[in-house]
Amino acid sequence: MNSSKTAAEKIFSEKSGQDARRGDYVWAVPDLIYMHDILGPSSIKSLNKISGGKTRYPGKVVVVNDHIYPPKDVESAHNIKMLGESAGEEKWETIPFGEGIEHTLLIENGTIRPGMLAAGTDSHTVTAGAAGAMGVGLGSTDIAFLLALGKLWFKVPETILFRVEGTKGKYITGKDIILKVLRDIGVNGANYASMEFHIEKGLKFNMDDDLSIANMTVEAGAKTCIVKNENLASNREFPQSDEGSEFTERIMDISNLEPQIAKPYSPGNVSDAKAVEGIKVDQVYIGNCSNGTISDLREAASILKGEHVKNGVKLIVIPATRNIYKQAIKEGLIGTFLDAGATVGPSTCGACAGLHMGVLAENETCITNINRNFMGRMGHPSSRVYLANSYVAAASAIEGFIKVPGD
Amino acid sequence: MPRIFLLGDNIDTDNIAPGGFLHLPIERQVEHCLESVINGFSSMVSKGDIIIAGDNFGTGSSREQAPVLLKMIGIQAVFATSFSRLFFRNSINVGLYPGTYFGTNPFTQGDTVNIDFSENRIYNARATLKFNPPAGILREILDIGGAINYAKELISKMENDGQE
Repeated sequence: MNSSKTAAEKIFSEKSGQDARRGDYVWAVPDLIYMHDILGPSSIKSLNKISGGKTRYPGKVVVVNDHIYPPKDVESAHNIKMLGESAGEEKWETIPFGEGIEHTLLIENGTIRPGMLAAGTDSHTVTAGAAGAMGVGLGSTDIAFLLALGKLWFKVPETILFRVEGTKGKYITGKDIILKVLRDIGVNGANYASMEFHIEKGLKFNMDDDLSIANMTVEAGAKTCIVKNENLASNREFPQSDEGSEFTERIMDISNLEPQIAKPYSPGNVSDAKAVEGIKVDQVYIGNCSNGTISDLREAASILKGEHVKNGVKLIVIPATRNIYKQAIKEGLIGTFLDAGATVGPSTCGACAGLHMGVLAENETCITNINRNFMGRMGHPSSRVYLANSYVAAASAIEGFIKVPGD
Repeated sequence: MPRIFLLGDNIDTDNIAPGGFLHLPIERQVEHCLESVINGFSSMVSKGDIIIAGDNFGTGSSREQAPVLLKMIGIQAVFATSFSRLFFRNSINVGLYPGTYFGTNPFTQGDTVNIDFSENRIYNARATLKFNPPAGILREILDIGGAINYAKELISKMENDGQE
């Protein structure tokens, strides 16, 4: 048998204790589980039904209250309270309130490490790929199953390897790479697959770009991903597919790539952002688990410095974590946002999922750097959401319509 | 007899279980199920009705509320040309039957049909649609009524085998 393996086959072999190959069903023990205040409570309910709350899971469990924090109503406060009580009984690690959005935070604080298999209640658990770990999103009952039995079945995914090469344009970020991928392969182009990215040496993308890419792989249907950036020393130890292992390879030359935009109502409905310039916007939202990073805030501030949001447009900025918030204060970015007429909110998933603090009314249009633009995603079903990078979102805030900077 | 609700491609989890209501008790989410696609959907469904959809059904979030809500309003099975990974897994786990079909669906909105789960076909006097059932461990989980029952059974086996 071929001894070379894909990154996914290596990780699932290690975590299952058997020679795992794509298509195999294996019982594996992830290193880490994380849950949040919206989907965590239903995991606890399922766990109670399965085992009366008894767990056999040997790994680490982390609870992050990020989706509706601070709580907006009695129900959301109840969810956080209930999750806190369960976590206390089980001695799970509860992240202090307000630290940030789990996918960004758990990479920032080193909880997610290269080579890990991480299981999360949230579909954007794939973001772990930016830290060299395989993150797999799971439903609440699967998480409960894993907690109760200490293991869970997985199908070992096939691999699609994207080699990103060429040169980087001025206003091009990781967001544009992943939007271009979605444009090319569609919203089920990687269904059930592991997407592996190799960013070639010399392409000046940073860790935050990698996070942005990893985060939206689930929008192509991916089960998991790894984003290995050859420009970052820390990425050297990331797992990667062996030459000779079985994967589908795609070469992406981004030399002529323009800022991309996903139009309503699908993250796969992508064109060059230029093609939709001039569309009036009611709201600009910057910040979520994929793009609330310090790089995003720097990019947005570079456009907004000395400028002001168009009157009548709501500009909302959400640093993804408390540390990013503090760093942004130190660098003067928050001052820039406030001077530009932005409302800067606490670290929360908030309006990205239509939960609170920036929900859209009927027929409103929003441009944002978040990851989904499904019908009703950020509010009323008739509202419309455009997904773009932080430069484009910020430039659009100044004009009051979709605008690509630099032209 | 089961009645058909026809839906298109890429029906997403925000259509099925809108994010703005996810923090509420599940009973209060029911009325919003698929309301952005078919106004008043939850009250139109009778117990046992089915959905026939296109590609990538259930794309998006890991929220298990999506198949739970469909089941709660009375949908007994969803047939699609493909399913998003998370929805498919969640659907099995909560005991909502997901069948995959190939080719063109011959039925129209509101048709009443019979479903033969042993022969894997949906039919009425005019037409038949064959589908593939879930296989392997997925089938085992579905047959026992979902992942909670499956987990309970595995735990009792582990305890009987003296692994405790």
